[in-house]
Amino acid sequence: MAKITTRQPAKQAQSSLLDGTVGGAVLSEQEKRLAGMARSVRGGRVSELLKAFKNARPSIDIERGRLFTESFRATEGQPLVLRWAKALYNYAENATVYIDGGQLIVGRAGKPGRYGLLYPELDGDFLDEAIKALPLRKSSPFDISTADAKVVIEEISPYWKGKTFHEALAKALPEDTFRLTYNADAELSSRFIVNETASFRSSIQWVHDYEKPLKIGFSRIREEAVSALNALDEFSPTDNTEKKPFLEAVILTADAIILFAERHAEEAAHLAAAERNTARKKELLEIADICRNVPKNKPRSFREAVQSQWFIQLFSRIEQKTGTIISNGRMDQYLYPFYKADKEKGILTDDSAQELLECVWVCMAQYIDLYLSKAGGAFNEGYAHWEAVTIGGQNPDGADAVNELTYLFLKSKREFPLNYPDLAARIHTRSPKRYLHEVALTVKDGSGFPKLINDEEVVPLLLSKGARFDEAYDYSVSGCAECRMPNRDTYTSPCAYINFAAATEMTLFNGKMIKYGNEIIGLQTGEDFATFEEFLNAYLKQQKNFLKHAFVQQHEIIRLRADHFASPLGSSLHALCMKEKKDIHAPHIEGGIDLGYFEFIGYGTVVDSLSAIKKTVYEDKTLTLSLIKEAISHNFEGYAEVRALLKNAPAYGNDDPYADELGKLIDKEALDFTVKYSAELGVHLDLRLVPFTSNVPFGKVVAASPNGRKAFTPLSDGSSASQGADANGPTAVLLSNFATKNYSYSHRAARLLNLKLSPACVEGDDGTKKLVAFVEAWRSLKLWHLQFNVINRDTLIAAQTDPDAYRNLLVRVAGYSAYFCELSKDLQDDIISRTEHSSI
Amino acid sequence: MDGGGTVFNIQRYSLHDGPGIRTVVFLKGCPLRCAWCCNPESQRAEVQIGYDREKCLYSSGCRRCEEAFGAPVSDGNVFCLSGADAAKTDCCPTKALFAYGAYRTVKEVLDICERDEIFYGEDGGITLSGGEPFFQRDFALALLSGARERLINTAAETAGAIPYPVLREAAPLLDYLLYDIKHLDASKHKAWTGADNRIILENFDALCKEFPTLPKKVRTPIINGFNDGILKEIAAYAHVHGADFEALPFHAFGTNKYACLKREYAPHNKLT
Repeated sequence: MAKITTRQPAKQAQSSLLDGTVGGAVLSEQEKRLAGMARSVRGGRVSELLKAFKNARPSIDIERGRLFTESFRATEGQPLVLRWAKALYNYAENATVYIDGGQLIVGRAGKPGRYGLLYPELDGDFLDEAIKALPLRKSSPFDISTADAKVVIEEISPYWKGKTFHEALAKALPEDTFRLTYNADAELSSRFIVNETASFRSSIQWVHDYEKPLKIGFSRIREEAVSALNALDEFSPTDNTEKKPFLEAVILTADAIILFAERHAEEAAHLAAAERNTARKKELLEIADICRNVPKNKPRSFREAVQSQWFIQLFSRIEQKTGTIISNGRMDQYLYPFYKADKEKGILTDDSAQELLECVWVCMAQYIDLYLSKAGGAFNEGYAHWEAVTIGGQNPDGADAVNELTYLFLKSKREFPLNYPDLAARIHTRSPKRYLHEVALTVKDGSGFPKLINDEEVVPLLLSKGARFDEAYDYSVSGCAECRMPNRDTYTSPCAYINFAAATEMTLFNGKMIKYGNEIIGLQTGEDFATFEEFLNAYLKQQKNFLKHAFVQQHEIIRLRADHFASPLGSSLHALCMKEKKDIHAPHIEGGIDLGYFEFIGYGTVVDSLSAIKKTVYEDKTLTLSLIKEAISHNFEGYAEVRALLKNAPAYGNDDPYADELGKLIDKEALDFTVKYSAELGVHLDLRLVPFTSNVPFGKVVAASPNGRKAFTPLSDGSSASQGADANGPTAVLLSNFATKNYSYSHRAARLLNLKLSPACVEGDDGTKKLVAFVEAWRSLKLWHLQFNVINRDTLIAAQTDPDAYRNLLVRVAGYSAYFCELSKDLQDDIISRTEHSSI
Repeated sequence: MDGGGTVFNIQRYSLHDGPGIRTVVFLKGCPLRCAWCCNPESQRAEVQIGYDREKCLYSSGCRRCEEAFGAPVSDGNVFCLSGADAAKTDCCPTKALFAYGAYRTVKEVLDICERDEIFYGEDGGITLSGGEPFFQRDFALALLSGARERLINTAAETAGAIPYPVLREAAPLLDYLLYDIKHLDASKHKAWTGADNRIILENFDALCKEFPTLPKKVRTPIINGFNDGILKEIAAYAHVHGADFEALPFHAFGTNKYACLKREYAPHNKLT
């Protein structure tokens, strides 16, 4: 019975994984692969496909931008939704069709390799300038050929000047809101204080109801629209001017996507005729057959279902820049009937099903979400992407939803090391043990997948917004941390990211920021504060002022969007849009639930700053406010003592009520604002703590802060503790999160939480079990989101110094995983400085 | 008895000191003086003052300790400070000057542990460690029975060099026992730890006989030149007694603590 074990020390010096001196540290599976100690399990077709493009720099394909512009030029004055459908049809008819060698799943929207598309309707006003600067951009660079750049600069960009959403919004903002939103430069670049995100993406992350086209095909969706068109009241003015163009757009879009697939069928047949390899010839003929059937009709097999889904998703990416890529929804649910049927027929094995899924992951990995603005690039470093595939969770009737396909998705993530797709695992109190165990095993691999989303928090909140149980149980994770009900959610406006660390600085400096000199940007709330309450109240005034401008901004965004965007494809897949015959961008759709949000950026930085001031100035009286301001003005150079005292104050993330009570208070104040004013917008604007990578650019405008943070370095990310401030281990981080949330409010949404664990924490079967126990506790605490980096700090440092040897190193950033070497030095440093929790 | 004792650390999210996720409570005081000890601050029972020269800002002009103590507290006399001065060490901005250990009541300790209860799951709980946790007999027993009252799973990590009746009282309050055995040879044991191992081995025998169902794991730190050659024997000894065995690789994480206590560290030398 007796077990004999030896254990490695939890922390041990490790010079480099690759020089052979691993030094006894416990390595994650990913680290073992990088050190050549383990090999990726998946070989064959998918790894050949991957090799062909993986390390190539992405390039811009201008076809989408050119064909859309061409169509929009020709349709001026017509209803927007119809113009959009015509542009899509123009694309389907004229775009280049590609079929990659060796691929089973076909369809791409750009040249071979990794490609990014242009969406000039969003940001065409500065497209020319951006294109000129793009190849030189340090983070997330793209290539473009000289000839293509010429087309962009001379044909595409000039058409959109004066017409884009970006310009319309800037014009609409009141002067004081504008001042917090944009710099007064030609590009209207972001000021990173009260930051709008609506002009670099056309919607909040979105997810379609893929089940519908997989059940009935676009031919039936088209028929639905035709009969609705025939049933319109021929004398009604709204039927004639609003519903009619909408339905015509749906019909034309269905024609477009069917045509797009048929052109792939032709191309495959054409290639098959010339193909000498008989195996490939057969595959090409199958592809031709499949593309003639889907997405027009209901798929006849699992392979057709996967192909159909990809066509829909790809076409959706062409239609719009849907807030950092359209999500995949509950893939293990809607693909399951096809998987099951084929398994029963004996025409599909798990291995071939996995290969088909990996073929589609490769398709996704070649589309790169291109951000042209500096703000967009800085928000989404490392080619951020959120095409979340949701697995697990509950059925509409509340039963557990895990099936064999769920496990296949997890297996693929462990065996095929690719950062596509983003994988989100829904967890609830009846999730099977095996599921939790396999999720933990996948987390242990170390490449950051899957992220976890907690049904026990999400479902009640969706109910509180008016959803039915069956809708709430059936939510899809969408993007970073959003949870959507594809036939009930109707709010797509991207929302404000608010830099509250800037509010802290304005409180100290009476409305000014060191970065902007003497300009008064915020409120003048005074210089002297006799008590901490006075200081806190001044901060809260600045916070409230930011919220005011964020909501003003949002009001204008909602008002303007329907004039600039339409989504006939997305709308045709939405039950309420089809019922009301309205585009999803309409400010209000009957029966819909409008779920928006605003982001509190720099939460840990602000809480710790308030805590440090309270403790050192007003309680211990070891410092004065003027000394702190002096130290901040000098970025703590020569003020080591002051900085040390500030850093020693109680900090968020340590399960310390001193800091957590302040955290809960500022959270509550923000909630009270939205309780009072979001009704005026007709939207649930919920408080969130989800940063993307914005904590880095936001940090670049904020001087040193009273928690000891140095000037212009990253702010704390999401709901994580300030970098290095969490000294009591990850249980304390979770408990602080719990303690700072205001559970009595329904106006709250995701809090993104990053945890970095050393591989020693999760080593062996015992480590897997303890990781499961940790996840179960997170579930019981009703925290929304959790994701892990299981990695040794030394690996990150080695990757920074020797990027070529670590090109494949994946790390979790903010709701997505990216190649570490494709991130900026600042963000790399930020990830390194997140506390690594090891066990003693 | 006022229901408290001296604790030098409470380590949350501990994964290697008993089953599940645990909170380890480190109690001060130990009868052994193992040459390699990684927790030198655990050996003496009373609160001690530590000083970390690396963190001190005296040379860059900080005089906060002088103000607090009324006289310069420089490297030379900082080690004369006693535990009674512990509260005053708060003056130090960088925690270069700090206290090892603090008095804590049973309730305070268990309240902290209970905060983590949600992470304990089926197996996790609290682990008493040290030092030698049973060196503070009353406090340790009160912590264990208090934890029982709160239905928190209990474990203890003992070196066994304490009177058997204490262990006999503790055992019924335990769900899991970690028992350190450094060596089986008495004279070697004495030369490296300062104490005979007879009581340790006798206590283990007695415990195994009297409490056969209490799950036990024998743990041995691997010290080259001392016990690295006899791990198999210790494992066999554990096996015969129905206990699991784990060998813990030596680590030098405690080095800086010796410096902070102004003590020499020679983990691979016999005691002189």
